[in-house]
Amino acid sequence: MSMSKSADAPHRLETKLGIVIPGDDLGEINDKLAGHGVLEINGRFTAVKRGILSEKEKVVSVEPIHSKYTPRPSDLVIGYIEGCTNNIWFVDIGAPFNAILPMSLGPSKAEFGGARSVIDIGEAIICRVQEVEETHSSVVSMKGMGLRKINSGIVEQLPPHLIGRIIGKGGKSLSKLKSNSECRIVVADNGRIWVDGDISGISKVRYTISNLANENFGGEN
Amino acid sequence: MGGYGDVRMIDDNGMRMDGRGPGDLREIFIETGVVPVADGSCRMIWGTNEAIVSIYGPMEAHPRKIQRQDSAVLAVEYNMAPFSTTDRMRPGFNRRSKEISKVTKDALESVVLLELYPRSKIQVNIEIISAEAGTRCVGLTAASVALADAGIPMTDLVVSVASGKINDIVVCDLNKEEDNYGEADLPMGILPNTGELVFLQMDGDLSQEEFKQAWDYNMNAASKVHEIMKKALTGGDGE
Amino acid sequence: MSVPLVPKLLRAHLRELANDNKRLDDRGQWDSRNLEIEHSVLPRAEGSAKVRIGDTIVYAGVKFQIMTPYEDRPNQGGLMCSAEVRPLAGRKYEPGPPSAESIELGRVVDRGIRESGCIDVDSLCIIPGEKAWQVILDLFAVSDDGNLFDAFAIAGIVALKQAIIPGERFGVGEDSKLEVNGTPLMCSYHKVGGRFVYDATFREELGGDERIHITLGDNGNVHSLQKGLKGIFTTSEFEEIMGHALDRTKEIREIINTL
Repeated sequence: MSMSKSADAPHRLETKLGIVIPGDDLGEINDKLAGHGVLEINGRFTAVKRGILSEKEKVVSVEPIHSKYTPRPSDLVIGYIEGCTNNIWFVDIGAPFNAILPMSLGPSKAEFGGARSVIDIGEAIICRVQEVEETHSSVVSMKGMGLRKINSGIVEQLPPHLIGRIIGKGGKSLSKLKSNSECRIVVADNGRIWVDGDISGISKVRYTISNLANENFGGEN
Repeated sequence: MGGYGDVRMIDDNGMRMDGRGPGDLREIFIETGVVPVADGSCRMIWGTNEAIVSIYGPMEAHPRKIQRQDSAVLAVEYNMAPFSTTDRMRPGFNRRSKEISKVTKDALESVVLLELYPRSKIQVNIEIISAEAGTRCVGLTAASVALADAGIPMTDLVVSVASGKINDIVVCDLNKEEDNYGEADLPMGILPNTGELVFLQMDGDLSQEEFKQAWDYNMNAASKVHEIMKKALTGGDGE
Repeated sequence: MSVPLVPKLLRAHLRELANDNKRLDDRGQWDSRNLEIEHSVLPRAEGSAKVRIGDTIVYAGVKFQIMTPYEDRPNQGGLMCSAEVRPLAGRKYEPGPPSAESIELGRVVDRGIRESGCIDVDSLCIIPGEKAWQVILDLFAVSDDGNLFDAFAIAGIVALKQAIIPGERFGVGEDSKLEVNGTPLMCSYHKVGGRFVYDATFREELGGDERIHITLGDNGNVHSLQKGLKGIFTTSEFEEIMGHALDRTKEIREIINTL
């Protein structure tokens, strides 16, 4: 997976070597490195995911066609509060495991037993992934610019690998969508998109998102 | 199993009742993305077997007590729909389905990189909506395609095929009649790229030579089925 | 069944949409999603159908068994309808015995078909007091994106209409067509954002309230009703959806009759 923060990372400019599936032999290792979706097995590279094979700067990787969101530190994500204790919120961020939001990283201090009055179960938040532990528990934070509880609008969903498409090159598609719909749009790394504005504007954005989601990504090559 | 030798299933030229030679497979069709609400899915038609598999996850494992700290939990549900058999299959607890779910899980756990997703769960649902013979093989093969469709990392696909014996002749991929009157059944789960095995069962009566022949038929069939799986997953047939 | 989290934003947004007479997928209040019906799709069933409404996909299969007629009705066979929503169809469904929800599904569809009298149970008798046919309709969900009820009801009646009684296999005469006199059909309505809509999606069901199911026969007669989930509705709301159900069941019946 590209570590570049901009969602329109230049993965589309690489040499496309076709679609591979788990178990496919990707050749000898030599001086190359295994990237995302690639494993070294018995001295050779093997694909472990279905996706598009690419080789860039000696890194062989598979860009998956479908994949679950995997959190990485500093990712901007939209989460739903699934539960809470006196000092921790449990947050569904669409990953294989829930994240925790400790009270100390929340938007404001709550009285003992008052966590739900600050953020209630079922509410949505914009937050940032603070750390991902080895056993994959992740911690999110709401300390930072633009991080907050969402009070209006709606959260839509797009498979995470398609968010580059809604943003477009240099953010062009996104700014166009924003001005056409007169909506506020925040695209998070976990594929969730917060849209706020008037009802017809939101509907416009949702229509665009569902069209993107329905396009068959696999049939492209 | 009954009728040892009293029903002729192979003619003098080695042709089977459905026109196949001893080493031939039934027709196979695979498509992916058939359960729109799932994270990955596959529909596989093999002869008149039909299986639909859906994958959910990796997702947070609930309840917490089933979580494993070092890897994901793979949950496999194999089930035959009530209308999948000639005599209606009564829904509910079934020892056969429980066993097949377990051996399918054991096979898939051998290839899925579960250690990448500690504390989460991957749910594999195998539903047989039409059963002929060899549904466990169809279910396991289709499950590996569905897992690949869901983007779950795995070291290889799994191809499962069975060979058996009818009228003292070893044949590949028994159909319903052959299975009913057959004298042995050897289902295997093969990793097509390496020829390694992750699933093996057998019942019946085979000599060492017959056993070797059945084993070879399965190995050969695996690479043929692998081609069809590959096509379905890379946007060839059925996409 | 694990209860999915209901996002608060979704409920609020559905209410705003309703105030503007809009829906999440830009359909009108009474519009249906795309409906596709196929029949004779299951090789082992004596009658079968596959129905797709948007991303909701279901199968129905008919099987026959020989039963001993009940003592108080020695000249009648039986009809049984059961629904299964297994984990295949959605992440909220769990393995194990049928949930209350899938039992409700099966029973509501069952009542609509049974009470319409479209299956003449007297014609299912083989030898009075000894042998009769039991018709078993199994409903099976592949993908749940909302409104399983209507999908099941349509698939169920189409499968019954295709069904062949396997007399030969059971050694009781020749194979014959199962007689089905009429096409009872169900229309389901969900209260979403404070008003009823037809053919709700999974998201609308998630953020909605009560639902009402109406099964109507060929002549518009009412054969089954069911109110499900928490919520309150008025007589005038009910009259409005009944009016729509009358029109919509006619439309679907025409599609089924041309299959």
